[in-house]
Amino acid sequence: MSKFSRRAGLPAHSSIIFIVLLFGMALHGQSDDESIKPVPILTGSSAYFTQVNGGQAQNTPSISPLLLAPIGDKWLVEAKGYYSDTFGQGNAGTYGGTSDYGLLYAQVDYIASRYVTLSAGRFLTPFGIYGERLLPNWIRPLQLTPLIYGVTSDSALGGMLRGGFTAGSSNVNVNYAVYLSSNNTNHILATDRTAGGRLSFFFPRHRLELGVSFQKLLQEDRAHAIGFHSEWQPERLPLTLRSEYVHQTGTYGGGYWIESVYRLSQIPHLQRLELAGRGQQFFAAQNLTPDEILDVGPLATNTSQADAGLNYYFSRDIRGSASYGRQFVLGQNTNIWVIGITYRFLVPLGPSGGAR
Amino acid sequence: MKIKHAICSTLVLCAVTLAAAGANTGGGKDAPPPTTAAGASNTAQDDALRFEGEKRFHANCGRCHTAPPKFGRRMMATIIRHMRVRATITDDDMRLILHYMSE
Repeated sequence: MSKFSRRAGLPAHSSIIFIVLLFGMALHGQSDDESIKPVPILTGSSAYFTQVNGGQAQNTPSISPLLLAPIGDKWLVEAKGYYSDTFGQGNAGTYGGTSDYGLLYAQVDYIASRYVTLSAGRFLTPFGIYGERLLPNWIRPLQLTPLIYGVTSDSALGGMLRGGFTAGSSNVNVNYAVYLSSNNTNHILATDRTAGGRLSFFFPRHRLELGVSFQKLLQEDRAHAIGFHSEWQPERLPLTLRSEYVHQTGTYGGGYWIESVYRLSQIPHLQRLELAGRGQQFFAAQNLTPDEILDVGPLATNTSQADAGLNYYFSRDIRGSASYGRQFVLGQNTNIWVIGITYRFLVPLGPSGGAR
Repeated sequence: MKIKHAICSTLVLCAVTLAAAGANTGGGKDAPPPTTAAGASNTAQDDALRFEGEKRFHANCGRCHTAPPKFGRRMMATIIRHMRVRATITDDDMRLILHYMSE
């Protein structure tokens, strides 16, 4: 199965009804007393990627619409779905394909104060930086998700409290998020009963962020996971360096990735080109039983991987990408090629408002 | 089913994408050109706010993605509220980035 999407989904008709309801709420809930009245927006991205993994080619067209529906000056309803179709030629020479669709998140946010925002519903788990910030395919520099993505629960169903504030004399921004998720055994909306959070420190002058995340599984083996992340952008170079580390005490092991992205904005004729590279290692948990090995799948094996790629921005919204990766697994090393294109769209669902 | 299914899916995705692209282009047309309000932005205070907003934009938003085009004020107000939650942007940063991006 492709690595492009791992989540299960809601039935399509439920998603459509839910999104229509949210949009209706937004249209009728606009506040009249704001200086700038936000307008509902339909945004997201579509993509077409071909991945050749160990000689097996798969094509994956996909679309991920995101509805943003502000209500008044304190509320925001946001719902993101996805649909993808992965098809390729099997060993027998015939084409086969599978569709995948669902709801990535559907949450209601309430801005309680300058420092606190409350969220409820299905949301992306605030653990590290990849899931919440880099997952959209028009953002991520390399299309393959890191090996450790999936070590922790990436979706939650419950409540979250988060916010950010400037500490001291604006030398550091402190960001926090804490959440509680309920157990959902529905196989297409499955979430674990977990609690966790993230604390980050961002130093704007140095463009450096350091953070720590924690997640406690409140069911089964009650394992806990701890993670660290960092991100740095030197001011004088169009370079981004990021990394994440995670370790879980249960059956999912741990690992790390380090990624660098360099935009060739200082070189004439190559300003639209971006180079990306990533190195990563995953360390499987020890002494897994045969049942646990089946349960965790690829995360049962120690794996190392190196990827290098190019992104070319045809415009601000259209990006072509290509990458090559070499995966090292004992006795089964593999080449992974990826090539494709992403398009980000953004459509106002009402008057978008003029310039200042 | 397979090849037909794949082709149908691809065509539907292309159609949706093109429709969104068309609507996007049209969406920008309802933004009136800056007139009297643009004059106000020439004040020194406004310049300082814009400079600070640009700085905060690059420090916060530029960490993950390239700069989007500037949108209408109402659109930008929605986007920045979304990013306040998604990227945990502070209240001060949010206001300055909104000022810079909705000029």
